[in-house]
Amino acid sequence: MIRYLAHLVAFLVMPFVLIGIMNRTKSLWSGRKGPPLLQSAWDVLRLFRKSPVYSRVTTPIFQLAPLVGLVTAAAAALVVPIFGSASLLGFRLDFVWMAYLWGLGRVALVLAAFDTGSSFGGMGAAREATFSTLVEPTLFLILGTLTLVTGKQRLHEVLAVPLTDGSAVAVWTLSVVALLIVLQVEASRMPVDDPTTHLELTMIHEVMVLDHSGPDLGLIQLGAGLRFFTGSAMVATLLNPGRGTSGWLTAAVNLALCVLIAVGVGTLESLIARFKLRAVPQYIAVAMAAATVALLATAWRAVEAR
Amino acid sequence: MPPAFLLSLPVLVAGALVSVAWRSNRASAVAAILSQAMACVLVLISVVPALRGGQALHLSWDWPPPIERVVFEVDALGAFFLAWSLPLTLLGTIYAVGYLRPYLDRGRRAGSHFALLNVLSVSFVLIYSVQNPLVFLLGWELAAVAAWLLVIWDYESQRIRFAGFNYLVSTHVGLFVLVAAFMLLHSNTGSMDFAAFSAFLRRPSQLRGTIFLLLGVAFGLKSAFFPFHTWLPRAHAAAPAHVSALMSGVIHKAGLFAFLRFTLLIGRPEEWMGWSVLAFGALSAFFGVLYTSTQRDLKRLLGYSSTENVGIAAMSFGVGYLGWTWGAPTLVACGFAGGLLHLLNHAVFKCLLFYAAGSVYRATHTVDLERLGGLAKRLPLTAALFLLGGLAISALPPFNGFVSELVIYSGLLSGSAPTRQGNMVLVAAAAGLAFVGAVSAFSTSRAFGIGFLGAPRDETVVVTTEADATMHLPMVLHAFGILVLGVAPAAGLWLVAPAVALFPTNGAASSVLEPLAPAIVANRVLAVLLALAVGVAWMRRRAARLSVTWGCGYTAPSPRMQYTASSVSEQLARLFDAFMPALRRERLPLEIFPAEPGRLATHHPDAVERRMFEVLDQAEDVVVQASARIPEQPRFAFAAGLLVLLVIGILIFGAGR
Repeated sequence: MIRYLAHLVAFLVMPFVLIGIMNRTKSLWSGRKGPPLLQSAWDVLRLFRKSPVYSRVTTPIFQLAPLVGLVTAAAAALVVPIFGSASLLGFRLDFVWMAYLWGLGRVALVLAAFDTGSSFGGMGAAREATFSTLVEPTLFLILGTLTLVTGKQRLHEVLAVPLTDGSAVAVWTLSVVALLIVLQVEASRMPVDDPTTHLELTMIHEVMVLDHSGPDLGLIQLGAGLRFFTGSAMVATLLNPGRGTSGWLTAAVNLALCVLIAVGVGTLESLIARFKLRAVPQYIAVAMAAATVALLATAWRAVEAR
Repeated sequence: MPPAFLLSLPVLVAGALVSVAWRSNRASAVAAILSQAMACVLVLISVVPALRGGQALHLSWDWPPPIERVVFEVDALGAFFLAWSLPLTLLGTIYAVGYLRPYLDRGRRAGSHFALLNVLSVSFVLIYSVQNPLVFLLGWELAAVAAWLLVIWDYESQRIRFAGFNYLVSTHVGLFVLVAAFMLLHSNTGSMDFAAFSAFLRRPSQLRGTIFLLLGVAFGLKSAFFPFHTWLPRAHAAAPAHVSALMSGVIHKAGLFAFLRFTLLIGRPEEWMGWSVLAFGALSAFFGVLYTSTQRDLKRLLGYSSTENVGIAAMSFGVGYLGWTWGAPTLVACGFAGGLLHLLNHAVFKCLLFYAAGSVYRATHTVDLERLGGLAKRLPLTAALFLLGGLAISALPPFNGFVSELVIYSGLLSGSAPTRQGNMVLVAAAAGLAFVGAVSAFSTSRAFGIGFLGAPRDETVVVTTEADATMHLPMVLHAFGILVLGVAPAAGLWLVAPAVALFPTNGAASSVLEPLAPAIVANRVLAVLLALAVGVAWMRRRAARLSVTWGCGYTAPSPRMQYTASSVSEQLARLFDAFMPALRRERLPLEIFPAEPGRLATHHPDAVERRMFEVLDQAEDVVVQASARIPEQPRFAFAAGLLVLLVIGILIFGAGR
């Protein structure tokens, strides 16, 4: 019971905390005081009290998409070991389900962007869909490699990879690198995408949701926050020294690592500019190369899984 | 064998004859539909025992020499294909009544068209049951010629006649190769019976590999595998929608059926066969899906996606082959069950997509994405059904495409290959499948987003009303199939399991989905949640204020300013420039105040087809050029490339020693 409650609280609070910490980090780097930590939660609440405005061009798909985005993000979150040990829902190949759920959420938002008939929306949607074609195989390469090393097929078991030999260490290191890049792309953070700029020509995710307003925008922000939290929790589980063992300490370390990742992302955003759009595929290719080398490294492992 | 099964043949033939003979189109349609419905019932009741794991139907009688003995035998594999091929053809025939109505109203006779649809059913009954190569070839040829005649319905157009001719030539190249394989087998066995072929093929011999390759090419051509797919986009764009649907969803599956039939005859395959099936499938899936991303003709797009989907199924069969060689029953069960289930799923959603495209064509007289837009408001039912089919073909949960791909993933990611290198390649193949899924989602979003959403792009396109009930009925039934096979995959598996049990699975055939059962439950929960989301969105639909799309303050936007289909795919096409050469024709505006308007046209032709024609044109030049291209002094990039290859090679082959 406590486990379920803890998960629920984490799903409800952590996304806002992480966004707050990223914003705080950025404001500290630029010498500002910055907004309160939970400002994004208040923003979402404020959006929920507003009434939406829809373009006359749109169809019901436009109103459906934010809901689908949130439902898929929430359902995918269930299989992620946010506390570094067992996840709420774990079944064979749950990570395939998770990846395709993220895909469904993405398709919904992409269609909503096309639905407005705006060239900005189309532009963002095309970029999002294009980059996803590179991110998806990278994610499968990473997780597939980890299934080979661990001999398991549930996400929380796969991420709890034991560092038994040099090959496992290599796989682990490269997976962390690749997964971090995947997280940056999936969560539309720098250097792939700039969530703060309002110059439409350079944006990806923000320009795609330009026409959403009121509760719809709130739902989209909720979904995006949840996706960032679950994504960073996956990296945190990989980094967590106590991964795979349940307990309060592991959970606390995992959440702390999520916060650290948020600080890292915020720092990165403060120090470097976003890439040119043309460089983004090359950046994802780095992740893909890392994942491929990790896959090749599995041939060298000393102990057989299982 | 109950005579009911063979009784379906005279029923279908009689229906075809009545269709041709009767002067009224209405009577022809009724005759075709009634006879097909009767044949469906006859065939279904006689294949049910085989599907329930019972005894295979068996009947034989003797003929004079070249044919000798004709054996009809419906085993679980044939029963699986028969169980959906005939009903789907019937639905296609019903759809044809509505789709052809404008032609019929202008006084065109369609009796022979309906008769040809009956002939298709005849060919299925023959191909899926007969054990005699000559009768098999007869069915094969019947299907090919009937499909050709069905494709050229609009024969007055030169473009369509060419597309039909192109198909006819390609399919006969395949027939030529198939006949060669059969001749080799006949000369070695002196018999015209699959059982005798099997006895020969099971013995190790040099011919085994040769025959495997010949059959692979012949069946690959039939199922439009890359690089034998060149006839396919043309034929699909030219044919009436129901013909495209039946060709892509049902007729091409005969190629894969025959492949599996001969797999069973060949017995335990050698390892290279499995790898080559896997590689061939992966190649088809990769190129097929890439080409879907740039098409502007909706039906061409769907045509390329058949190449993709048969590729996915073949990848799965490759896994099954490898499992057979390695003696890994899990791989055998996952590989063949996943592939067969994917074939069934593909038949269900691909027909729906083609029917929806046909409904668009009926309403607008075009399937050019760049000229469409905003159809969701004018054709709401068609749009909803197209979206459903598109989500299913992108393998998104909770629809049926996801289930079969999950089974395929469970084979690829099971880690049960005996060697580490084997496992590595299977994981890489899983990543390839993920890429295919993502690009497929891209193409679906693009086709639906540009064609059905936004504002109408071209005011010269007049949208008439929605299609009529005879077109909607088959579409709704297909949509129903997508939902059922998505949330209750046991239904699909019930059809597949007996066929899978023919392969050496050690009884694991029916338990393929067992470890995946939680995923199925999760899918159901997701389906309920999505249905709730749809309900909530429906409840809220009136509560809002309406305004214009935000244009950054620009007050005079026009539909022409929307993102176009080619601008959506531009970035992806540039990333994969090496595989999808683009033809650009452009005249950019020159001065600050250009007097003449600029223009830009991009076109993505089929690389294989272009290359094929080029090579045929100048085979000799190619050889000369190729030899001239080998650098006399290896450059840096060349050396670096060699080094990388060397390192990868050492990594792969040096491992574990």
